[in-house]
Amino acid sequence: MTTSRLTAPQRRLPRAVLPRDIPRRGTAPRDIPRTAAPRGSFRDNWQGWAFVAPFVAFFLMFLVWPLLSGALMSLTGKSLTGANDGFIGLANYAEAFADPDMWRSLGNTLYFTLISTVPLVVIALALAALVNMGLPAQWLWRLSFFSPFLLASTVVSLFFSWMYNPQLGLFNDILAKIGLPPVAWLNDPSMAMWAIVIATVWWTTGFNFLLYLAALQNIPQQHYEAASLDGAGGWRQLFSITLPQLGPTTAMIVILQVLASLKVFDQIYQMTSGGPGGATRPVVQYIFEAGFTGYRLGYSAAISYIFFGLILLISVAQLFITRKRSA
Amino acid sequence: MKQVDSRLMHLSRRQLLLGGGALVGSISLGASLTGCGGAAQAAGNDIRFWHLLSGGDGIKMQSMIDRANAAHPEFTVKPTVLAWGPPYYTKLAMASAGGRPPEVAVMHAARVAGYAPGGLLDPWDLSLLAEYGVRPEDFTQRIWEKSQLDGKVFSIALDSHPFILLYNTEVAGKAGVLGGNGQLAEISSPAQFFDVARELQRVTGKHGLSYGFLGDGAQMWRMFYTFYKQHGADMVLEPGKPAQVDRDVAVDCLQFITQMLDDSIATRSGDGGTAIAEFASQGSGMLFTGVWELPTMKAAGVPLDATTIPTLFGTPAAFADSHAFVLPHQARADDAKRRDVYKFVASMLKGSLDWAEAGHIPAYQPVVRSKEYAALLPQSHYAHAADIINYDPQAWFTGSGSDFQKYFAENVQNVFLGRIKPAEGWDAFIARINALLAKPNPV
Repeated sequence: MTTSRLTAPQRRLPRAVLPRDIPRRGTAPRDIPRTAAPRGSFRDNWQGWAFVAPFVAFFLMFLVWPLLSGALMSLTGKSLTGANDGFIGLANYAEAFADPDMWRSLGNTLYFTLISTVPLVVIALALAALVNMGLPAQWLWRLSFFSPFLLASTVVSLFFSWMYNPQLGLFNDILAKIGLPPVAWLNDPSMAMWAIVIATVWWTTGFNFLLYLAALQNIPQQHYEAASLDGAGGWRQLFSITLPQLGPTTAMIVILQVLASLKVFDQIYQMTSGGPGGATRPVVQYIFEAGFTGYRLGYSAAISYIFFGLILLISVAQLFITRKRSA
Repeated sequence: MKQVDSRLMHLSRRQLLLGGGALVGSISLGASLTGCGGAAQAAGNDIRFWHLLSGGDGIKMQSMIDRANAAHPEFTVKPTVLAWGPPYYTKLAMASAGGRPPEVAVMHAARVAGYAPGGLLDPWDLSLLAEYGVRPEDFTQRIWEKSQLDGKVFSIALDSHPFILLYNTEVAGKAGVLGGNGQLAEISSPAQFFDVARELQRVTGKHGLSYGFLGDGAQMWRMFYTFYKQHGADMVLEPGKPAQVDRDVAVDCLQFITQMLDDSIATRSGDGGTAIAEFASQGSGMLFTGVWELPTMKAAGVPLDATTIPTLFGTPAAFADSHAFVLPHQARADDAKRRDVYKFVASMLKGSLDWAEAGHIPAYQPVVRSKEYAALLPQSHYAHAADIINYDPQAWFTGSGSDFQKYFAENVQNVFLGRIKPAEGWDAFIARINALLAKPNPV
C-alpha cells in the first residue's frame, strides 16, 4: 500500500530538510511475530547480511546520513554560498521560535491538516457506504471516485486554478447563475485555504474511499442477517454494526491522512504559492524559502527539525490513543 | 511458456550471478560512457548559457543566439531556459555553489548583489571586453553604475526594461487628451492624471486605466517604487541597520494608488491577465505595464503608443531592471572558452536591435543611437527612460523575482485592496525588511 501520495509528497525537497519517513513507521503492523534470530552472530549469518547489505547501504546513505547531517547543519549558520559556516549552537532554534512567519506557516499547516482531514475521512466513508449499498454499475462509481487520485498534483492545480479564476472560472459562473456574488477564491485570504482544501478533497479522497469500501465489503453478512432477525433497522445496523466494524480502518485512515496533510506543499505552491499575503503558506514552503531563496540552509534545517519534532509528537500521541482504544 | 519457465528454473546460481554481474557491469559501463560523453562535449566548443526568458522574449533570444552561432563557427552556444523567478535563481545559485555552473548566464542586474559577494560570480575583464568592441562609455550612466559592485564589474547589461505607460491612441484621441504631436499631452500632477483617466473612462465605458497586481508582488512594487522615486525620496537597505526610508512619502504613494484603484479609473481586483485582456479588448485607454508586454499588444492590433510613466510628483523617475550577462564562478576557468564567451556577449549586445523589438531598451548605446532604432515605434518614444531608471534598493534579498517583492505583496496588497490603512501595511512591510536586515548577510 502506498501512502506517499495521500495529499502532497515533497519529492523535490532533499531529505535533509524534510524528514518524512520516520513517522510513517508508526503505521506498520505491530503484530508480526518475530523470528528468534540469534543475536550478535554476524559470522554465522553473513549471507543474511549480504542480502540486506544493498538496502542497508541505501538506508544509511539516504536516510540516516541526511538526518544526521541535517541536524548538524541546523547548528551552524551555513548558507548556500558557504558564508557564515561556523557552529552557532542553538541560535537558529532560538531565532525560529521567535520568528512570527515560522509560527504563522506552522499554523497554516495545522489549519490545513485539521480542515482537510475531517472531510477527507467523512466524505470517503459516505461515498464508500453509498457505493456499497448496491448501486447499479458499481465499478463505474468506484472508478469515478478513485480516478482523480491518479492525477499528478500539477494537473489538479491547473484544473482548479482555472475553475477558481475570478472572471472566467466555472465556480463563479455557477454562483452567477444562481444569483450569488462572485468570490475571489484564491485571492481572498479568508477563502484561499478552503479553496485549496476543496481541490485536495476532490483529488485524494478516492484513496480513503477505496480503503473504506474494502473494509465495508469485509464485514460478514451474517452480522446483518442476525441483526435483522432481532429486528434492527437500517440506522441501527449502521451505528451498531457497520461503524464499529470499521473502527480499525478509520484509525488507520486518520493516521495516514493526518501525516499526509501535514506534508502539504505541492498544490499550495502551484495554486497560490503561499499567498495571498502568506495566508496559505505551509511550513514546508517556508523551509524551502528560508533555505533556497533566502540562502540560509542552517536556519531552514532548524525549522525542519522543529517541524519534525511536531510530527513525531503527533504520531506518538495518535499511536498512544489508538493502542489504548484497541487494547 | 512452460518451457521457458523450466529453463529459467534450471539456471544455476552461478550462472545467475554471472549474468547479473554482467548486467550490472554493462549498465555502469554505459553510465560512465555517457558521463564521459557529457564531459567531453562540455569541454569542446560548447558554451552553456542559462537564461530565464520564455514566451515572446524567449523566441527573440533564441533567434539572437542562432545568429551569434552562425556568425562565430568557433563556438556553439547551447541555451538552457528555466522558469522566471525563484526556480531560475535557486538553480543558478546551487549550480554555482556546487561548482558546475554554465559558462555564461542572464541575471537581473538588481539581483547581482545577492550573488557576487558570496563568490558565485566572476568579474568581467574590461580590457578583454574592449577588444571585442564593448566599452564603459557604450552604456548610460545609471546602467553602468548598476553593473558594478565594490569596484568590480559583475554584469554586462543587455537592456533596461522599465515599467511604462501604454496607451490606446484611438481612445485617447476621442477623449481629447492627445497633444499636437499625436502623443499623450504632458501630465504633471496626480489630479491631472485622474482627469485624463476619467476622460478615457468616459470613452471606453469601462475603465480608464488597466493595471494588474493581484497576487503579483513585482507589479505592486514596480508601480509603488516609480512613484516613490518621483518624490525624490531614497531607500537605503544596509545589513545590521534598520531600513532608511521616507515613511511619509511611502504613505503618500500608497494613498495615491488606492485613490486610483476606485473601480472606475481602474479596477480594484485586477490581476495581470485581466489587465492585459482588458486593454487589448479596448476596455481601457491606458495600461501600466512592463515594456515586455508591447509585442502582445501590437499583435492584438491595439492602436498603440507608449511613454514613460508621467511625472506626477516632481522628479522624473521610472522603475526598471536589466537583463544582464554574468559569469558564474568557474572552479577551473578555461581561457579559450572565456574568450568565446566574451565574443558571444559582444555579438549579442551589437545585435540587440532585435531585442528592442521585444520592447526592451538596448543597453548598448550604439544600437540606441542607430537610425533603425529611431524608426522603431513606439519603442523610441520611451528610450529616454534609460536616463531616469531606478533599480531596486541594493541588498542581497532585493531584485526582480526576489523575496523582497513577495514581502511587499504580503503586507501591502491589502492596502491596494482598501482593506487596511496605507501606514499599517507600510509599517508591517518595513518591520519584515528590518527583521531581514538584522540577520547576518548569508552571501
